[in-house]
This record gives sequence, C-alpha cells and structure tokens, in this order.
Amino acid sequence: MLSPAGLDRRTLLAAACCMAARGGVVRASEPSPPARIVSLDYGLTETLLALGIAPIGMVQVGAWADWVVEPALPAGMIDLGADREPNLELLAAIRPDLIVTTPYLAAIRPVLERFAPTRTFSIYAPPGGRPYELSIAATRELAGLLGRAAEGEALIARAEARMAEIRARLRAMADIPLLIVSFLDAHHVRVYGAGSLFDDTLKRCGLANGWRGPCNYWGFATVGIEVLAAVPESRLVYLEPISGDVLTKLAGSPLWNSLAFVRAGRIQRLPAALMFGMLPSAMRFAALLGEHLSATERSSG
Amino acid sequence: MAEALHRKGPAGIVAFLLVAAGVASLWALVKLLPPGLWFDALRGPDPADARQMLAAYSVLPRLVTSILCGAALGLAGVLLQLVLRNPIASPTTLGVEAGANLALSVAMLWAPGLLAFGREWTALAGGLLAVAGVLALSWRKGLAPVSVVLSGLVIGLTCSAVVATLVLFKTHYLAGLFMWGSGSLSQQDWSAAVFLAPRFVAVAALSAFLVRPLTLLSLDDANARNLGLSIGAARLAALILAVALTACVVSTVGIIGFLGLAAPALAHVAGARRVGQRLAWSALLGAALLWLTDQCVQLAAGADGTMLPTGVVTALFGAPLLLWLLPRLHQSQQGAPLSSIGPASRRSAHAGRVLGCLGVLLVIATVFSVMVGRGLDGWHLSLGGELDLLLPLRLPRALAALSAGAMLAGAGCMLQRLTGNPMASPEVLGVSAGAAFGFAVALFTLSEVGRGAQLLAASVGALVALLAILALGRGRGGSSGSTLLVGIALGALFDAVVTALMASGDPRAVLLLNWMTGSTYAIDARGAAVALAAAAGLLVLLPLGARWLDIVPLGAGTSLALGLHPRRSQAVILASSAVLTAIATLIVGPLTFVGLMAPHLARQLGLRRALPEFMGAALAGGLVMVAADWVGRSIAFPWQIPAGLAASMIGCPVLLWLLSRRSS
Repeated sequence: MLSPAGLDRRTLLAAACCMAARGGVVRASEPSPPARIVSLDYGLTETLLALGIAPIGMVQVGAWADWVVEPALPAGMIDLGADREPNLELLAAIRPDLIVTTPYLAAIRPVLERFAPTRTFSIYAPPGGRPYELSIAATRELAGLLGRAAEGEALIARAEARMAEIRARLRAMADIPLLIVSFLDAHHVRVYGAGSLFDDTLKRCGLANGWRGPCNYWGFATVGIEVLAAVPESRLVYLEPISGDVLTKLAGSPLWNSLAFVRAGRIQRLPAALMFGMLPSAMRFAALLGEHLSATERSSG
Repeated sequence: MAEALHRKGPAGIVAFLLVAAGVASLWALVKLLPPGLWFDALRGPDPADARQMLAAYSVLPRLVTSILCGAALGLAGVLLQLVLRNPIASPTTLGVEAGANLALSVAMLWAPGLLAFGREWTALAGGLLAVAGVLALSWRKGLAPVSVVLSGLVIGLTCSAVVATLVLFKTHYLAGLFMWGSGSLSQQDWSAAVFLAPRFVAVAALSAFLVRPLTLLSLDDANARNLGLSIGAARLAALILAVALTACVVSTVGIIGFLGLAAPALAHVAGARRVGQRLAWSALLGAALLWLTDQCVQLAAGADGTMLPTGVVTALFGAPLLLWLLPRLHQSQQGAPLSSIGPASRRSAHAGRVLGCLGVLLVIATVFSVMVGRGLDGWHLSLGGELDLLLPLRLPRALAALSAGAMLAGAGCMLQRLTGNPMASPEVLGVSAGAAFGFAVALFTLSEVGRGAQLLAASVGALVALLAILALGRGRGGSSGSTLLVGIALGALFDAVVTALMASGDPRAVLLLNWMTGSTYAIDARGAAVALAAAAGLLVLLPLGARWLDIVPLGAGTSLALGLHPRRSQAVILASSAVLTAIATLIVGPLTFVGLMAPHLARQLGLRRALPEFMGAALAGGLVMVAADWVGRSIAFPWQIPAGLAASMIGCPVLLWLLSRRSS
C-alpha cells in the first residue's frame, strides 16, 4: 500500500476516480449499501458525518457538544442512551441495517447482531499505539463498506493536507515540546503521550510531545501536577472542558506558580477536541493548535 | 508471627514502622535535593529552583499529611470500634465517606459554584448529613450499637448507589471524582496539613477525656448505667469525635481504605488492651502505617511513572494484613457481642397468608414489567404483535432479575441466621468479590472479552474465593464471625483494585463498574432459563435444611444436644449460601443490597421461623429485583439504570422506613 506521504495529488486523483468508477459499477450490480446506520462510538460517528452519511441513531447524543463539538450533529438523530448499553428496545424499533461499533462493546456484540449486521472497528485496543494509522485503515474500510470509497480517500487526503498546513504554519515552534493535558482536579492531570491520537497528530504537524513517560493503551497517563516539573522547557496546552474551581485553585498554588512554563507564561487553553476520536478529531486538534499557538507566537514575538 | 508481634508490643511495632518510613523519606529527599539546601528549602525556597520548590511544597507537606491522616483514621477507627463494640466497625460503617462522596458528586455536576468555597466543606457537609441521618434513625434506640451499624450501613449503601448512578451517567465529568475517591495524598502546598493539624490535636485532646466513659461502655449497658454513666451522651460524644476526624480526612484527601480498621486491629493484637492504650497506639500505628505506605507508593511510582493512589494501596496491604491478624483478633476479642436477631414467633400464624400475598404480588409485578414500558412515543402498554416483539427483550431480564434476587435473598437469610449478625449479606462473604475479580482480570488481560469468557472467568473467581473462605474458616475453627471478616477483607481488596482502575482513567473500568452495579442488560433467554432453574432448585431443596437454620443460631451446645454436628452443618450452610451467591453474581453482577434487605423485609412482615423467613425473603428479593429491573429500564429512558443500583434505591428507603417504624 502507498504510504500517505508518498502520495502526490495526481496519483491520488487517479486513485479516487478509479475507486469512484469501480464503486459505481459495484453499486449497479449488487444490493445498495446500508443506509440506516447506527453508530455506537463518537469517533465512528464523526467519520460517518465526514463521509457525508448521517447515522440514524447514536449513543450519548447529549454530551457530543461538550466533547466533540464539530461537526455539529444533524437534527433528529435518535439517542440510544449510554455508550455501554445502547437501548435494545429502541434498536429494535428503528430497524437499522448496519451497526458500527468498537472492541469496547465486544461483550454485547452477539446481542447487537440480533438487530443488524454489526461491524467492529478497532482504533483503541491493546496493545495500543498508532491511532492515526488505524483511523486511516478504519476510514477506508468504513467508506468501502458504504460505497463511499472516494469520499473516504478524500477525507484521508484532507487530513494529510491539514497536517501539512499546520506543520508549515507552526514551523517556528517545532523544537518547543508541548505537554497536552486535561485537568482532573487542581492536583492531577491526564497527560497525553505515545499511543494517543494527540501524540500522532503532533508528530504529523512536526511538533514535539513533552511527555515521554509510559501511557496506557488509550495513550494517556494520570499524574500529579508536580510531575510536570520534570519537563521545564515545555509549553503546557490544556483542553476544555475544565471544572470551574481548578483554575482558581491553581492560581493560589505556590508550586504551580513556580513551574517553569507557568512563570514564563507558556500556557495555552484549547477548546475541546475528542481525545478518543478518529481523523476528524485529529484534524480539529491540529487546527486548534495552529490557531491558538500561532496566536501566542505573534503576541509574545 | 502474631506471638512475636505480641512480645514486641505496640511500641516495638511503631518504632519499626517509623524507622523504615524515616529511612525511605530521607532517601527520597536526598535524591531530590542535596542536604546542604534543606534548610534553605524549609526557610524560604527559591522559586527558580524546581528541586527546592518540590521539597517545600510537595514532598514535605505530603509527608506531614500522610502522618496526620494516618493518626486521625487510626483514632477514628478505634473510637468507633469501642463505641459500637464491634471489631469490624470502621469510618465506613457510619456512611461518612459515602455521604461526603455523594455531596461532592452532586456539587460537581449541578452546583459547581459551591466548589469555589472549597471541596473540603462540601464533603464535610455531606459526611455530617449522612451521620445525622444515622443518629436520627437510631436515636430512639438510645444509639444502641446494632441500630447504629445497621442505619449507617443502609445510608452508606444508598449514598454509594446514587453516586454510582451519577458516575455511570456522567462518566466523563467525574474523572476528578475517581481521583478524589481513591485517596491520593499528592500535595502541592501546605493547606491540607494546616487544615488537619489543629483539628486532629483538638479531637485527640477531647478523646483523652473519654477514656473513662469508654472503659465503662465496654461493659454491657446495664452495668455501665449502674456505674453512673449517661450511655447516650457518652456514645454520642465519641461518635461525633470519630465522625469529625473521618470527615476532615475524607474531605481533604479522599477515602484511605482500611486504615481505620487495620490500625486498631494491629494495636489490639500487639497487646494494647486498656482503652487509653488502644486510643494512643491506634493513632500512632495509623500514622506510622500510612507514612510508610505512602513512601513505598512514591518509591514505586518513581520506578515506572504511573500513579497509584495511596488510599488504594493501604487497602491492598491492609486487607491481607487483616486476614493474617484474624485468628488473634478473634480469640482475644473483647466487649459484648452484637445483640442477635430475636427469634420471636408470635405472628408466624400469618405466615401462609403473607407468603401467598408475596407470591401474587410477584406474578403481577412480572406481568406488568413485561407489558408496560417506554418507546419513541412515550409510555406504552404493549399487547399482541407488539408484545411478541418486545417479549424476548423484556422477559429474560425480568426473570433473571427475579431469580438472582431470590437467590441472593436466600443466601443473605442463611448468613444472617448463621452469624446472628444483621450486617451479614452475600457480598460480605466475599464470593461476589471473587467473581467480580475474575471478571476484572479477564477484562484487563484479554483484548476482546466475549460473554462466554466473562462467565468462565467469574466462575473461577467465585470458586477460588469460596475455597479460600472455607479453608481460612476451617483454619480457625470455622467460627462464623471470622468468616464474615475474611469476606469483608476480600471485598475491600477487590474494591481497592476497582477504585485503582477507575482512578487510572482506563475506559475499561467503566465496563467493570457497569457490570458490578448489576446490569440485567445483556441477558438472553438461555441465561434467564439457567437462572430460573437454579432459583427453583433452591426453593425445592431448602425445606430439607430448614431445621438446621432453626437450630444453628441457638449455639453449638444446643445443636449438639439436638443431635446436630455444629461444624458440619455450618459448613453446609456456608457452602450453599456461597454457591447461591456465585450463581446470582454471574447473572446480574455482585448485587449486595437485596441479600441484605430481603431477610429484614421478611422478618418485618412477621416471618420469624427459618422456613417461612427463607421463603418470604426469596419472594421479597425476587419482587424487589423485578421492580428494580423495570424501574431501571424505564425511568431514565433511553438510558438505563442497572437493576442492582435501582434495587438499592428502592429497597434502602423501604428498609429505613421499616427500621424507624419498628423503633416507634
């Protein structure tokens, strides 16, 4: 398979045309691809939306705006409830012809199979690592399954183009290591390292991750704030949502205020981006970095 | 080794722990900062020197906080054990931790403005409210130990169930709560130490005045009263001191598992007997234990960089320690035992009618549960073709819930009869903990876990726990009290592991929590049939053992006189309740509340003899679970509250109402 980096625009276009043509032929001779799709994972939902397909039902519709933000969910999507236990009576009522899910729900897959053919896409599962590459593969597989191979390749190309664009824009920051964290409370953070979508995105944008410590297979470690003192030269980037009292408490903490990046003002707040997402989340994260880091670059420089 | 401990006495143990902790702390400090700079760091650390800042605002405050928390919990634990005359009492028994936890979760979700005043105060308010509830419920009983423990347990369970529901519904938002709940001692300033120190000193000084009243309280109530003691006032004072200490610790660093139980137990085994000795040595041992544990945690964290909350580690160390201590603890246990469940039989004439009513109710509830529910267009009564469609989704879970409820109720009934302890329940036995442990291991070692693998892993876990309980029980003469303690220790051990997993933020932890809360979600017709068959088998076989259940609580002497081998009959009762628990746990998760509640419900309905009580408990357990399954399925549609949690939220208020009615 061609590596994404070795793909120039002409071969890409040729490939896209070829796949689109083949898709057309296939569609003519075989039954039409599934149209009533239920997605049991945010990452798969954002990918479906990027392919131009709106799932009819999804889990945890309410929290999407806090954790994924864009693309906005189309109106009328049916909420199936908790991500661990999609409502079976609703599933029976809406009669999907495809359910897409992740290994996270492996235990109830036989149950899901009773309602519709079920496909599992594995991005975050042991042993972990490479979520960006796995997202590319899953995007291709999903697009192929839905007869949208061309849209799939276009999405992958868009993501690559976004990475290249941000790499160019943030070239000046390439050697400042970034600590990407979510605050759990005023004492602890989740720091995203090797194996996280954010780490993969940083690499593709030519940026350095300041966290070299061990991580779980979702690509993060939970640490006390004092541990962050080990990488004083870093810039700290923290993600929304953040609990209201955390910043107030930190402002009064002598240890926090003595951390090198705090004293030098190298801290950046970032709007929410899904840490367990797929290509659209990687693109959003890269865009947010480009927007906010280049802004701080200008104001400090 | 227990003999050696006893010879050394508490002073020797404390000295040993302190030296080890001191060496570890010094070593850590030397690694961080050259000794030449220590005084600079203490007097006024240079903000530009990260090492000095870390020493002054992280290492030292953490050390002092660990010592203070340890001492406070040790003292709180021993106060509770003295006042409740119960060697397994601990701050958890009063619901302080669960109440604080609930207040904090509610504030985080709905009133984040409150947190601006400090999380400590929110948690403190929650803890005090829970205890106020406990005291109010047991007030008319003169704060009798059995009444306090029971009320505390019920309120604690209710709070925990509500918190667990919130966690399941708002997983992402409560990440900070897992951290808080797991007792991380990580510090970034002196605020926790400054908060705790004066409060601990004040409570310690006040408890010195309680030495004489507490000594008298360790006699029975009548003797104490004759010696001129106001029993209610003395108990209340000691309770308030213990609660204040616990609430302070919980609100600053979270739940430090098992320390409040382990420190007093260790002091007792080492030979502290008089009340004054027990208070002082428990506090010192608590301080030394937590200091050493926390140093070990930091050393281990330095090795591979992952963070383990200290509160979880104390439970991991504390539970095996307690297992090892048990034989000593049991032989030398002091104080009057908890009053047992009265064998009154005045209303047993009504037994048939009561059982009949329960049976009819159960059938009605099951039919209602299958026919009524919510869909895309709201509430709906399903009949005909629609019912055909929904029946395979609704009936299996209702029947499985019913069967599991009946089995757990049966197991709880046996355990409570066997031990004479109203706190006994299947979860206390530790078999559900074993099953859950097996499930957790499978979840975290295999990349994809199907239902077959889950069942297999949980069965193995339950079996191992059962064998361990029987082996440990035989080792100390099979006494029922120590078997309960083994179960509590195993349960706490598993709880610690789960809390650690939750705190690590691993998303699989949510799957585990989901199963533990007793979800009937994925049960199919086959699973339901197996459950129903097991429950039916229980109800058929039980009458054969009913006579034993009537006789065994009367004591070994009576049993022998009536031609019953006490050891053998105990083992059979224990084993069958363990098997019942294991099967039920495999079907609907390690539910604890039905096994605790249903026997009480049956007795409240006037069923006092073994067989009617058992049948009544099984029917009531089934009824509660069917209702719980339906409520959980419908109330938050399309979201679902696991049946186990729903059961506790239905059953605990019912139990509270019954308890208060009985006391009036």
